[in-house]
Amino acid sequence: MIELDVKDVSKNFGGLLAVNHVSFQVRGPELIGLIGPNGAGKTTLTNLLSGALKPTSGTIYMNGQRIDVLPPYKIAKVGLGRTFQVTRAFRRMTVLENLLVPALAMHPTARQAQFVKKAREVAEFLTIDHLLNEYARALSGGQQKLLELGRLLMLDPDFIILDEPFAGVHPKLMEIIYEYITETNKKGKAFLIISHDMETIFTLSQRLLVMAFGKLIADGPPQEVRKDPAVIKAYLGSDSDKPWQPERKRVPA
Amino acid sequence: MRNNLRLLKALTWVVGGGFLLILPFLIPTRMHVAIIALYYAILASSWALLAGYGGQFSFAHMAFAGLGAYTAGLVGKFFRLTTAPTHVCHEWSLGGWWLVVQDTGSPTCLETAKASMPAGTVIMQFPSWLDITLGILVGGLFGLLIGALVLRLRRTYLALFTIAFAEILRTAINAERDITGGPGGLKVAPLFPDGITLFGHHFSAADKWPPYLVMLILFLGIMALMYWLAGSRFGLFIRSIREDEEAAGSLGVHVVRYKILLFTVTAMFAAAAGGVYAHFVRVIAPNMMVIKEMSVVISMAVIGGMESLLGAAIGAILIEFALEQLRNDITIGSFTLHMTDWRLVVFGALLMITLRFWGNGLIYPIIQRITRRGVAEETVAKRLQAAAANPEEPST
Amino acid sequence: MNFPSYFWYTVLWLIFWGAVGALVTPRVYTRKDKFTYQTAMLGAFVGAALGPVGLILLWWFTPPASLKWLGLSGLLILVWLAAAFAKADPDNLCVTSGSFIATQITNGLVIGAIYGLMALGLTLIFSILGIVSFAHGEFYMLGGMVTYYATEVWFPDLNPLVGVLIAALFTFALGAVFELLFLRPMITGQIERPGEYAILVTFGLAFFLQYTTLSLVGASPKKASRFFDYPRVKIPAETGDLLKITPGNLTFFDLISIPTARFTALMIALVLLFALLYFLYRTWTGKALRAVSQDRQAAAVTGINPKRMNTLAFALGGMLAGISGAALVQVFSWVPWVGIPASSRSFVIIVLGGMGSLPGAFIGGLILGVVEALGAGCVPDPHRAAAYLPAYGMIILVLVLLLKPTGLFGREL
Ligand SMILES: Nc1ncnc2c1ncn2[C@@H]1O[C@H](COP(=O)(O)OP(=O)(O)O)[C@@H](O)[C@H]1O
Ligand SMILES: [Mg+2]
Repeated sequence: MIELDVKDVSKNFGGLLAVNHVSFQVRGPELIGLIGPNGAGKTTLTNLLSGALKPTSGTIYMNGQRIDVLPPYKIAKVGLGRTFQVTRAFRRMTVLENLLVPALAMHPTARQAQFVKKAREVAEFLTIDHLLNEYARALSGGQQKLLELGRLLMLDPDFIILDEPFAGVHPKLMEIIYEYITETNKKGKAFLIISHDMETIFTLSQRLLVMAFGKLIADGPPQEVRKDPAVIKAYLGSDSDKPWQPERKRVPA
Repeated sequence: MRNNLRLLKALTWVVGGGFLLILPFLIPTRMHVAIIALYYAILASSWALLAGYGGQFSFAHMAFAGLGAYTAGLVGKFFRLTTAPTHVCHEWSLGGWWLVVQDTGSPTCLETAKASMPAGTVIMQFPSWLDITLGILVGGLFGLLIGALVLRLRRTYLALFTIAFAEILRTAINAERDITGGPGGLKVAPLFPDGITLFGHHFSAADKWPPYLVMLILFLGIMALMYWLAGSRFGLFIRSIREDEEAAGSLGVHVVRYKILLFTVTAMFAAAAGGVYAHFVRVIAPNMMVIKEMSVVISMAVIGGMESLLGAAIGAILIEFALEQLRNDITIGSFTLHMTDWRLVVFGALLMITLRFWGNGLIYPIIQRITRRGVAEETVAKRLQAAAANPEEPST
Repeated sequence: MNFPSYFWYTVLWLIFWGAVGALVTPRVYTRKDKFTYQTAMLGAFVGAALGPVGLILLWWFTPPASLKWLGLSGLLILVWLAAAFAKADPDNLCVTSGSFIATQITNGLVIGAIYGLMALGLTLIFSILGIVSFAHGEFYMLGGMVTYYATEVWFPDLNPLVGVLIAALFTFALGAVFELLFLRPMITGQIERPGEYAILVTFGLAFFLQYTTLSLVGASPKKASRFFDYPRVKIPAETGDLLKITPGNLTFFDLISIPTARFTALMIALVLLFALLYFLYRTWTGKALRAVSQDRQAAAVTGINPKRMNTLAFALGGMLAGISGAALVQVFSWVPWVGIPASSRSFVIIVLGGMGSLPGAFIGGLILGVVEALGAGCVPDPHRAAAYLPAYGMIILVLVLLLKPTGLFGREL
């Protein structure tokens, strides 16, 4: 069972506190939504969890192991997988090769042939099996998004972070991704899903985190969070289309 | 279709290898060019592995070749194996043999010692295979070092760093005349100093067949090794690193290890080529490591196709022959075009135009047309099939 | 002459403790939960300057990596090196003759200013196009070549400054044409991997220009005569203690001597530098150029055409290199590959100064000029001193890339 402990984590970009003393815990295969206005620090938090960035202060433990000091590839091996806000398929590699990379990385002694079948199944599930031998750059934007999700299935982590998986995808694709999340969740994987699509995230998630100005301002079941005055004030109450910037604080270096 | 591809690959190996084996019979007067062409082929295709597959645009490849060549040459210049101790030189006992070093402080110590050594003492140079192996190790060591140092550097910074490394090395070899002979060059023993008997025929040390065969075997061996690497997890990982280091890391790829490994193995390939080259040309100079040489190798890889080991190798061989062919001056009336220089102008222009209009090179697209034949049709067919199965859904 | 080992042992000592400091210090800072920014470099500097004692103090107090500590320890390293050098080679001119040192440094600064000007061109290109032109040295070479041919071969009576102007126009046009033909496609999305493409295609251009020039003019060295002969002057009139001018040499305070050709080159460079600053800060086009370098999108919104700015920047950058070459063709002899070391110098300078930083490029140029002059003048074996000349800058480049890839004035990555 997955255990994630984020303890008092901060990230300072030369004076800008993008993530400000955030703490939360995950126990078991929860399906968690993470919302917050643009620039709230959601992507930065994701990067801290996956090891792409190192926190300025604070610690992150996963399954009893401290991961904030580990390089990204080791964090992946501990069992954390993520997608990127902007899709990052390996463009000049075929879909099949894209899918094989994480599988081989996770199994140091395995041979490629062992995973071709699984890759085919994953691709079938995501309806991109006819494209297996195409280069990823030949795929549409939505298909590349699916490919990223497929790579995560091949990586098979316990904890999956999706950064805005529903942004700019058409309804048919949305359905597939929705199904992907619920199906995978049923298999005992925890999810942290960043989204601006309120409707989807409220129905999908069992627990909702809300960030604003780099701070975690709410954490609870969606129904309760919806009523939280702080959230209404900081986020839902205001015009949510309007992008805003967190305050720039000069922190002495 | 997959089986056809495998057959095609086997056929390519047999036909390509066979062709290169009989090539000297077709052009007996041009064996020198053929050997140099293979030398460039090794360098261009290993650079293609480094830059085309791995995305590491290093300009230090010729420096690694130079390290291989100079290690071989310097070992030959300073080290001897004897069956008796000299008592005057620096020496180490190696179970029956003595490793004798005639360093710059005592260049003639062995000569002096000869008189006092017992009759029948054998004094010999290192065999070529051994000093080439040492060169490969030195090359690999430096590759490891450079790979580790450039981990954080991308693109332009990497290019600048590797240029700097190559230039420092070349400058040092140029400057330290006492050791390396400086710009005047360093004499290297032939590959087989006493000649060699092959298939009942004795080849003298100056004969070009033995070095050709050695270079050919090295070329085929390295190509085979590189294809194996490229087809294995190593190949997948370095390509994923080329595409997106961060994404590769987040999917569990040990980015650091594979980048360093890539630098190390390609440096070893380059050093191997350099070692054999040194024994073939017999005099090596720091000029083999100048930027121009690096440009030539890069151009060969680019024109052949950086993302294809075979494309780069074919590109190198064709271009080397073309460059040699173009040496003859062209005279139009009273006007003579000195082709020794102009051919390189043509070559530079070709490089730029290839880059601009054929990013995949000129040869790789041809190879790809053959190996990826049917992929597009397959995709279209499958898509139609899917559409036919559930007609109301738009295809994603 | 055998250079005693004092010096090398000192260097080894510095390197060893520098490496220890660079590797261990960030870990100590992490362990103590301190800000680790640039602590690798701080560790390297303090380790080299003060050895184990300094490192232990550093790890004990863990002060933040400030310019003060870096500067002080940097200075101390230079002092150690100088002292070790003086002890190792007491008869060296660099140790015994203040006049020699002063002359070397001044000449280094003079040449460095011109290098700086050339590197300004490269940094300008980088700040607008985001690429480094590997053909920058070839623009320099062509600038010199064109000036030589204009003033010595085609029109022997031409005023040399007109020759410089022709070279400027030529390199400007060449830069513009190349940008339009080969770099424009990068921003219009016709090139798949623009970053790698830019490196290789400018590299190809360098190769192409070198061999075209070689084919056209041959490999024999060319040297333009001095642009101007200076009148003989002495101040004060009898002794010339303050200033002594001969047609070929300037001597200040009876101490520092500069060849007049270099002095002319310096003047050209300074005039050009001020012209460039005026252009960048006082004219609309110059301001537009700077706007594009800061924020492309925002600049485009205000009606600036970023594509045209790209062409302009590349042409201008090439021209700056061209004029530097034109100014120096009367100082050094000119062959088709003079551009190769010149390119390398520009790389060193912009990395040292910080990619995209204009003041950085100029100051970097001065530093490199001095380092090269001292290297050439002080390394004991004159043959070695000359042979190692290309390496001094490269060593700086390697050190900067390893210790502080953003250079002295670079924007943080
Ligand atoms: N690498 C970075 N350097 C400096 N500032 C950054 C960096 N990444 C993000 N930021 C800043 O941190 C803040 C939070 O960004 P982000 O985490 O992307 O927000 P969100 O994903 O919630 O929209 C923003 O103001 C952004 O500009
Ligand atoms: Mg975001």
